[in-house]
Amino acid sequence: MTAFIRPRLRKPLGIALAGTAFAAAWALRGGDAWQLSIAMEVTVLVSAITTYVRAGEDNDEGALAGSRADERQKLLSLRSRALGWNFAMVAAFIGVTAGVAVKATWWWPFLVILAVGAFAYLLGLSNYGVAEEGTADDADTSPQVRSPAS
Amino acid sequence: MRNRVREQRTQREMSQAELAAALGVSRQTVISIESGRYLPSLPLAFTIARFFGLTVDKMFDPDVEEAGT
Repeated sequence: MTAFIRPRLRKPLGIALAGTAFAAAWALRGGDAWQLSIAMEVTVLVSAITTYVRAGEDNDEGALAGSRADERQKLLSLRSRALGWNFAMVAAFIGVTAGVAVKATWWWPFLVILAVGAFAYLLGLSNYGVAEEGTADDADTSPQVRSPAS
Repeated sequence: MRNRVREQRTQREMSQAELAAALGVSRQTVISIESGRYLPSLPLAFTIARFFGLTVDKMFDPDVEEAGT
């Protein structure tokens, strides 16, 4: 889907689009704090520009920011995201447990995060072939020759 | 696991950046492989071995443990 966008532009554009959407949502929300959306948009644009500049650097962070990572850098990113997911799940579990313990009304969003995380994990196992390992080549159903030892 | 990437590269008087470009990986990955901090995937191991005209088992010696591998 992003193949037509230059690799160096992909992440900065993603940051700009996601950040702009959030800033627009904040502005639409109205109220006294709508001006914050301007500060948010400025921060988002600075982040996008910073990411674009970093994407040109000759290091691991630059390769990841510039969407040109090789296998080691992709592995680093994957492991970091897995660590982030683990932290998010622990935080969500603490949140739902604390929320239930104090009879708060805000416990269920944490449960939603836990459920989404668990679903995504199972989806990953399914998509990435956990059930496609095949059968062992010695899993022959024909009559077995008895071992002399048995 | 010990490997002969640095030895082979220096024999050919190549820089890490030149080897990285030839292998299609980053300079940082060549540095990590040479220092034994990163074990390449099997396809990359074959690419490295073929580049230097060696077999994978000549390029990578599994009998020698290095810190960080």
